[in-house]
Amino acid sequence: MNKISIIIAREFNERVKKKSFIITTILMPLLMLGLMVAPSLMMLFAKGDQKTLLVIDESGVVAPKLESNDEVVFTPFSGSIDQARANEEVFGVLWIGSDVVATPSQVRLYTNSSSSMTLEESIASQIEDVVEAERLGMYNIEGLEDIMNNLQASVSMTTYRNDLSAEGEEEEATSSMVAYLLGLVLGMMLYMFLIIYGSMVMTSVIEEKGSRVLDVLVSSVSPFQLMMGKILGVASVAVTQIAIWGVLICGLGATVLPALMPDDMMQTVEAVQAGQMTALEADMDADMLSALSVATDVSGLVMMFVWLLLFLVGGFLFYSAMFAAVGSSVDSIQDANQLQTPITMPIILALILAMAVFNDPNSSLAFWGSVIPFTSPIVMMARIPFGIPTWQIILALVLLYASVVGMAWVAGKIYRVGIFMHGKKPSYKELWQWIRQ
Amino acid sequence: MDLLKIENVTKRYSAHTALSDVSMSVPRGSIYGLLGPNGAGKTTLIRVINRITLPDAGRVIFDGREITDQDIYHIGYLPEERGLYKKMKVGEQAIFFARLKGLSRREAIVRLKEWFVRFGIESWWNRKVEDLSKGMAQKVQFITTVLHEPKLLIFDEPFSGFDPINANLLKQEILRLRDKGATVIFSTHNMSSVEEICDHITLVNKSRNILSGSVDELRHRFGENVFEVTYSGEQATFEQSLEPMADILGTSSVADTPYLCSRIRIKDAASVRDSIATANNAVELRSFREVIPSMNDIFIRAVEGTL
Repeated sequence: MNKISIIIAREFNERVKKKSFIITTILMPLLMLGLMVAPSLMMLFAKGDQKTLLVIDESGVVAPKLESNDEVVFTPFSGSIDQARANEEVFGVLWIGSDVVATPSQVRLYTNSSSSMTLEESIASQIEDVVEAERLGMYNIEGLEDIMNNLQASVSMTTYRNDLSAEGEEEEATSSMVAYLLGLVLGMMLYMFLIIYGSMVMTSVIEEKGSRVLDVLVSSVSPFQLMMGKILGVASVAVTQIAIWGVLICGLGATVLPALMPDDMMQTVEAVQAGQMTALEADMDADMLSALSVATDVSGLVMMFVWLLLFLVGGFLFYSAMFAAVGSSVDSIQDANQLQTPITMPIILALILAMAVFNDPNSSLAFWGSVIPFTSPIVMMARIPFGIPTWQIILALVLLYASVVGMAWVAGKIYRVGIFMHGKKPSYKELWQWIRQ
Repeated sequence: MDLLKIENVTKRYSAHTALSDVSMSVPRGSIYGLLGPNGAGKTTLIRVINRITLPDAGRVIFDGREITDQDIYHIGYLPEERGLYKKMKVGEQAIFFARLKGLSRREAIVRLKEWFVRFGIESWWNRKVEDLSKGMAQKVQFITTVLHEPKLLIFDEPFSGFDPINANLLKQEILRLRDKGATVIFSTHNMSSVEEICDHITLVNKSRNILSGSVDELRHRFGENVFEVTYSGEQATFEQSLEPMADILGTSSVADTPYLCSRIRIKDAASVRDSIATANNAVELRSFREVIPSMNDIFIRAVEGTL
């Protein structure tokens, strides 16, 4: 055991001292924070100057009803279109054809500089409203406008979960949109960790074998100790990275994010968190608000990180043992590519399953995918944000960690033979013989 | 007493047998040569001693008891194919290997500093291995092999990759360790180094031990009564006088001298004295000495089955 810890310490120290590790560990949370904060910062700073548009309305019906706002000021213009276009002090010219009510395509916008999509959409929608109102008026039915307004309905739905509410109090479930995004991020993160850290184990075994350090090491430690030491060493690097990210994101969520947000928005977020109001009642984008309330809910984040760590470590131990076995049986990374396909396939399959899970997090496909060890780490992490029974998570963890033992045993068999094999790349049949030996 | 005894060790792999019924005894304090052509089973035997692989049959007795995992703390092994972590600093790396052999960090540092001074490489401590030349890395490797002062040292082709000066330094260190009580096993193809430093050998071929014994005893045992005679006088007279008791293998003149040199094989070992007397009467003898077979000859003849 002592020897394994010496190996672990070496693996850990060599990796965390690398510049690349330090940089990614610090930059990633900042990047994620940036992604979270960017929308609100854009809302704050993206308001450009007011733009003046000269309006030439040949139909005479639209121009009087156009409303200027923060973004754009409509100024009626009576001259010809060429005169208007000659004026370079304004943002541009809006030309509306005489028969616009019958032919709504008779609208043109000439601009002196590039316009934005939102500006074009807001102008088009104002004109649409006017044209619709004009067309309604042509039916000559009394009170038609009221009838039309009355017909329009907007449904706002709040989702409650019966099985999750503690103490009989109704608890608002996370909005599906936020759960989807969170599941996506967590699933992707696990996928990336399994692939990146798994191949890190493989590469490092290949290097040890190639540089013949292995031949020296095995005279001091058994091959199995060596393999487990490496796997656990790399795992501890992954855990360190995740833990640092966890602390940074929780810390930033609790401090920086509220400070950056406008006060009124934060008050609303707090109200939502406290259950005083639902996200939909607030006069802000509901998904944005739920996202913010998730990002600033420290205890929720901590819980999420605990699950993430448990599945990360389990999934990593499960897969990295096989990565180590493949690394031990080849001489170069090129040779490893083909042999590692059976390992990377289930990981990719898990990611595809995770995508399918978002449609129905409680389907039997989702359940089995998140319980069977080959796919469980990624699929379960994708499901957790939707809120699933704890027993399922525990079941998945128990199965995962139990199969880790079996996986390590099989991998150890391959490893102990593979590290002394040089030259020809072994076939699957030979690998099977090594396991049985 | 023998430090290491191999008793009837057999090791089979799925496709072939690497060792069949191999026995050998390594006397304490000896330098023991383990010889054999490529693929004979030397490396497997060394791995069995190091407990890297376990034998299918037979026993390994170390220091009077059957060998256990704890004993590898008392063995230092320098494999033929050896390497260090390229990205790691020399000092840290040496400490790492020392700790795997059971030394504490502090003890490792004290001993390492001593060795680094002895080899004059103190300045390498903080350099990365990838910045060292192959020979420099080999020196570091040698130190990590012997640092824990093992009772048994196993070197597989230790001199490959060394220039003559450093090879000599290494040889002196190995002899010094032997004098301090270590037992050394040498696996090598380099027969001249065997003659120089080994006192015992075992020759393995096709998974079997085909020849064991002390180097001097073996060389004399396989001597074939061949003698080299240097003389001045008539070649014909010399050859005629010896004809009844010896075969003349060849004669040449000794460069820059008036002497001739003949190789003769004396037919009967008992007639050596007669031969000398006869030759002495016929010509003026300058020297008369036995040609002892080199380990190289013995190796080749043993492997080709012509002993």
